[in-house]
Amino acid sequence: MPIPTITERLASIRSTRSAGKVVAKKKVSPRRVILFVVMAAGAFIMFYPFWFMIDASFKSNAQFRGMEGYSFDSWAKLFDILPVGQQLANSTIVCVLALIIIVSVSTTAGFAFAKLRYRRATLVFLLIISAMLIPMQSIIIPAYVNLAQFNMLNSYTGAVLIYAALGTPFATFLMTAFYRGIPDELIEAAVIDGLGYWRVFLRIALPLSIPAVVTVIVLQFIQIWGDLLIGLLFLQNTDLRTVTVGLGVLATGRVTDIPVLMAGSLLSAIPAIIVYLVFQRQLVSGLTAGMGK
Amino acid sequence: MTNIFTLQRSRTPRLSDSRRRMGIILSLPAFLLVVLLLGIPIIQAVYYSMTKWDGLTTTWVGPETYINLFLNPTFWRVLLNNGLLLLSVPFAIVIPMGIAAVLHEHVFGWKLFRVIYFLPTAISWVVIGMVSARFFAQEGLLNGIFANIGLAAIQTDFLAHEDTALFAVAVTFVWSMVGTNTIIFLTGMATLDPSLHEAARMDGAGPLRVFFSITMPQLKPFIQFAFIMSMITAFTALFSLIFVMTGGGPGYGTTTLEFFVYQTAFARGAFGTGALLGVVLFIIMGVIGILQLKLLRSED
Repeated sequence: MPIPTITERLASIRSTRSAGKVVAKKKVSPRRVILFVVMAAGAFIMFYPFWFMIDASFKSNAQFRGMEGYSFDSWAKLFDILPVGQQLANSTIVCVLALIIIVSVSTTAGFAFAKLRYRRATLVFLLIISAMLIPMQSIIIPAYVNLAQFNMLNSYTGAVLIYAALGTPFATFLMTAFYRGIPDELIEAAVIDGLGYWRVFLRIALPLSIPAVVTVIVLQFIQIWGDLLIGLLFLQNTDLRTVTVGLGVLATGRVTDIPVLMAGSLLSAIPAIIVYLVFQRQLVSGLTAGMGK
Repeated sequence: MTNIFTLQRSRTPRLSDSRRRMGIILSLPAFLLVVLLLGIPIIQAVYYSMTKWDGLTTTWVGPETYINLFLNPTFWRVLLNNGLLLLSVPFAIVIPMGIAAVLHEHVFGWKLFRVIYFLPTAISWVVIGMVSARFFAQEGLLNGIFANIGLAAIQTDFLAHEDTALFAVAVTFVWSMVGTNTIIFLTGMATLDPSLHEAARMDGAGPLRVFFSITMPQLKPFIQFAFIMSMITAFTALFSLIFVMTGGGPGYGTTTLEFFVYQTAFARGAFGTGALLGVVLFIIMGVIGILQLKLLRSED
């Protein structure tokens, strides 16, 4: 091992000493004030659209066009022209069903790939995760025609299956990576104690993997909740439309009543915002999980 | 970085039959789901790409469909849009890099800033497109700003002209990538070794020098990752944004390849050509994917 230079030694002493009170002392320098102002300006740009939605949605069309005051007119109108309750329910049902499938198949497969390595496991694993490269637009036309033949475009089934299939490769990748972190000894010990592999999965591996499962759920929820294309094509029956699809269609209908559109946008965004605020950490870890870390 | 693409062989060679069987049973549902709903359709897409197909009747044409496509100026017009959109990707890297560097210094209120900057990640492209369309409209905020600062002359309905419409889409794309990429870089910066920075600073390096000589090289894998993710987003995730903001127009002004797939198949009923465009998109994504693998591998 090379002998550390004085600078390095000093640095390491400084860093260990300051480690405990990193946040405690920070000088207010002109530089930091400028940085704060720049960050605040950036935050304003990032937050402005949300403010615009909130502000506009509490105005009637006349108020939006310059009249003073606020009202609930646009919210009332939104519930008149769009079956919002029904669409929120549709979004929830589609999300929940797809998530159940994604979590079930990705946890079991991840466990199998990580801990029950059978002969062709690597090949099957590679096949599944390579499907991450397939853009939905590339499969959507044949998938649409296939599912139409099975009469699955008039129920939730078709959309749920496609969402599940599109979410499975990445979820399997994530779960496999997680289960590989569990020591083999833990699994072997449980098996020697007489637990079958299925029980080992249910009672030991699955409970341990709850954090990873939450990450999968949060990521996929935000994806599916906000999707337009699949919903547009695979939920042909307007009663089954999700709130995002309902909104997307409304927008192209050249509705000029902007406050109503903003109320709808805000309403459709709220569930995802809540999930984001509650599960921020899981979302972050999921986003960077693709790096193989 | 561990190599994630090979699974180690079991340490206990006497694989019990029950274990092997359970392994197959447990991975079967995921396998079937992916093969039936993604694998078979992509193969079908390759077949249908060489046919004339309206969804019901198919006529075989052959590989010359690809040649016909490459001779079609509209295809190149659409691909040009994709290319122009890619030009905005560096902005979606540099801006978040700056933001992350400042937030990493724990500037006053950084936790709140982090929440706000990351917020668009949770929002659907439909909602983003809705607001953005208002922002760029004739009576929208951007034109209002132009009027106030004495630039009334360049006021225009941004979504009504081919070149400005694509610009509006690109700006919106960058805006919504800022949060995601900032978070990626912040995660990267949290893994950095602080003693290196301290050492460099004590040796007299200024903050910029420290950033470019110490921080940037260590962040390389994160920068590559953000770059690839932004490219994939630009190619395959902007359908809803374009659908809501411009509907691909005016003309083909904002029609990207992914939007062209939808338009060709579902607005014009040319399912065969739609499938063909989908295959081309898949090939482009495949090339980007291989690039990513190469980059990750070279890090080992």
